[in-house]
Amino acid sequence: MTQAVAKKPVGDSVAKVNEEVAVGEDLGFQRSWWRFERIVWACFVMIIALDLAGAFGRGPLAHARISSADHSLIVRYERIQRTGTPSMMSIRLDAGAVRDGEATLFVSDKLVSALGAQRIIPQPATTRVGNGGLTYTFPVTNPPSTVRIELEPPGPGRFPFEISAGPSASVTADVWVVP
Amino acid sequence: MATIVHAIIGYFVLLLTVRILSRRPGGQLTLFEFVIIFLVGGVAIGATVGRDHSITNCATAIITIGFLHRLVSWVKEKSPRMGAILDGTPLVLLKDGYWQREIMRGMRIDPEDVMAAARSKQVRSIFDVKYAILERNGTISIITHDRSAR
Repeated sequence: MTQAVAKKPVGDSVAKVNEEVAVGEDLGFQRSWWRFERIVWACFVMIIALDLAGAFGRGPLAHARISSADHSLIVRYERIQRTGTPSMMSIRLDAGAVRDGEATLFVSDKLVSALGAQRIIPQPATTRVGNGGLTYTFPVTNPPSTVRIELEPPGPGRFPFEISAGPSASVTADVWVVP
Repeated sequence: MATIVHAIIGYFVLLLTVRILSRRPGGQLTLFEFVIIFLVGGVAIGATVGRDHSITNCATAIITIGFLHRLVSWVKEKSPRMGAILDGTPLVLLKDGYWQREIMRGMRIDPEDVMAAARSKQVRSIFDVKYAILERNGTISIITHDRSAR
């Protein structure tokens, strides 16, 4: 047995041109759409310009440099980073941060967890856990020396971090991670 | 979870970008547009699935995009306004022997594009064309003076 098919009478609601051809043209809508298109293209240009400048990371605006009050610790990093994209943090230790041929470097937990520290170059001689972070020691023969930490943030957000090389050489800063 | 969010964002960013790229006369892809499709597709894949190339992750992304497509189709069906926003409306390019210059300029269409559409319908002269209409899918419909739609 066949079932009845739902039916609807044919109507002619489509706007006509010259009362002759049903086109459904809506010039008012089209003009609004063209205005919207111009705004979107302007936004696209702005996004590209901001990206080239580094506002979304990997560019001049993203590069940052901070130093401790006594300038014995200088950190170069990217203040704007991208989720899952590697970046390198460079920590320069001057003679003031080295005692008895050894530099002690403290990095806060956020640098390891939220900013995804993948590896540290060179390998530290010792690593201690505590005080809300990790403390590394490096043998230093002829300062200044540079320690590099490879970061790869696992998720977006704003993450403050702290790095210190002894009681007088300490820096704090924020990193913004975009999606 | 991240894959679903990335797929949703990617779908709507792509939809917006493709929508504001004007309709191509003829409704056929040129080599130039193939470049856009392959490049944009490749970039979108990377952002959507990330480093997780597992079948589970890829299937989740595909299902999400399929669901979004169904949802957008449903919205278009329910709301003619949304249909106009997502697909545009037909536009008259030539009417009673006059080019509609505002439309032609806005849609970046040349008289040659209309003539090409007319030729494909065996219309020999532009003077035989009474209406040329740019359809939502990018094709140009030609209606001649004898009122026979071809």
